[in-house]
Amino acid sequence: MADQWQNAMDHAVAIARKAGEVVREALRGDRKVMTKSSSIDLVTQTDQKVEQLIIQSVKERFPAHRFIGEESVAAGEPCDLTDQPTWIIDPIDGTTNFVHAFPFVAVSIGFCVDKKVEFGVVYSCLEDKMFVARRGRGAFCNGEPLKVSDQEDIKRSIVVTEFGSNRDPDAVDRIFSSLRKIVCLPVHGVRSAGTAAINLCLVASGSVEAYYEIGIHVWDVAAGSLMVTEAGGVLLDVEGGDVDLMSRRIVAANNRAVAGQIIRQLNVFSPPRDDTLPSHE
Amino acid sequence: MSDWCDCFNFGISITKQASEQHKDVRVKSSSADLVTETDERVENLLISAIRNRYPLHRFIGEESVAAGEHLELTDTPTWIIDPIDGTVNFVHRFPFVAISIAFTVNKQTEFGIVYSCVEDKLFCAQRGGGAFLNGEPLHVSGQEDISRCLVVTEIGAERDDLALSIMTSNIFRLLTLPVHGVRALGTAAVDMCQVATGGADVYYHIGMHCWDIAASAIIVQEAGGVVMDTDGSQFDMMSRRVIAASSLVVAGRVADMIQAFPCRRDDEQPV
Repeated sequence: MADQWQNAMDHAVAIARKAGEVVREALRGDRKVMTKSSSIDLVTQTDQKVEQLIIQSVKERFPAHRFIGEESVAAGEPCDLTDQPTWIIDPIDGTTNFVHAFPFVAVSIGFCVDKKVEFGVVYSCLEDKMFVARRGRGAFCNGEPLKVSDQEDIKRSIVVTEFGSNRDPDAVDRIFSSLRKIVCLPVHGVRSAGTAAINLCLVASGSVEAYYEIGIHVWDVAAGSLMVTEAGGVLLDVEGGDVDLMSRRIVAANNRAVAGQIIRQLNVFSPPRDDTLPSHE
Repeated sequence: MSDWCDCFNFGISITKQASEQHKDVRVKSSSADLVTETDERVENLLISAIRNRYPLHRFIGEESVAAGEHLELTDTPTWIIDPIDGTVNFVHRFPFVAISIAFTVNKQTEFGIVYSCVEDKLFCAQRGGGAFLNGEPLHVSGQEDISRCLVVTEIGAERDDLALSIMTSNIFRLLTLPVHGVRALGTAAVDMCQVATGGADVYYHIGMHCWDIAASAIIVQEAGGVVMDTDGSQFDMMSRRVIAASSLVVAGRVADMIQAFPCRRDDEQPV
């Protein structure tokens, strides 16, 4: 049966690969660093350049499609998910890693129709790993099928999480309180690679059992979230309900048993949603 | 000096051979028992190959020590071996697992080799000869401003309350300085090598063993970095504490901020 989004997906893979080359090239030189919402919310010209590259190339092929891109939103574009075919783009997931040349940097492209993710592409540029997921048709890394771990015991699990870029004392307190409880379960280990997209791919690959974070954005997780479900895993909100990609909160796990055990430990909070209208000062 | 070059080259070739053993087991399955078996097999392979060529050399190996061998660093040429650094990663197929080999003479490290097997990255350094990754020279970032640092450490390796409290409060203090971020890959050897490449600016940890860090310590130093104890004093590989940083300034800053928890030294006689 022909897949009406096959062309779009092929285009996403090709443009992600091209974007990856731009990232690798930029890593060979110096990277001029700017900041966004705080001194540790970093962005570079490469972020902006790569996002433009992706958007322009998609606009040429699919002029009616819409976009939600991290840097466009930072520049004032609305973050508004409609039923229209929409490309949700993080040009460099792991910008801090990119600035430092710490080896986890990904281009993340999620494609939504009727507000559902139809396909996701995460290109881990420095590892040259192309992760692709198509709704109903599985998830793959460089062509090899992905499957989550079959571990049911949280005490034999590796959990991935991040500290994020929010330094608000209340948020940081809650993040650490959750971390302590998770470590004390105990778990086999906690890891932090520095990018949500790659963390989700690690869950999909079966290398870790779960990933949780409060503070990510829709562009960080749109593609990777489909990777997890297509590899047999589950997505939930940090309070256990259905995941909401605009809520800035996510738990991704190999199964409900592990997800549940994590959720019970979390000290949750609610950052401003991605689809909240910005306040005018 | 040329003798140690022979040892160095030999070390590299047996490291690569030993990594084949890692692949062998991963294909079968993963359980704690199998991992211990692989640890032992790889360590024995390395030790017998070295003993064959250098019968008078001594060894400090993770598995030999676990089996009851006495741990003591003497002036005799000594090979310090971790056959699988990142055991939990190995079991889970989380792709950071390393073989670590350091070689000391008169208690001074002459060379270090860390082979991150899944990534196929060979980090190495000879004293006075610089540090390399797959043949390319390595340099630390040189970062002197702690607020622009990317920090690497281990999370969740502790099991007792005091160690856990100290671990989380150390990360909390650094994070809220703020630093750019905190990362954790699950192997001291590979994590420390990120400082040597410039991809991170500082690594610190308390509780690991000499075999986890002896090799990567010289790799960081030969890449222009600084290695010291967590209290700011001179690095002592038996102390089970380390800071490895892009600059003296950053190392000192981290030493000021973090606390250690008590750990029995690696070379302490068992009671």
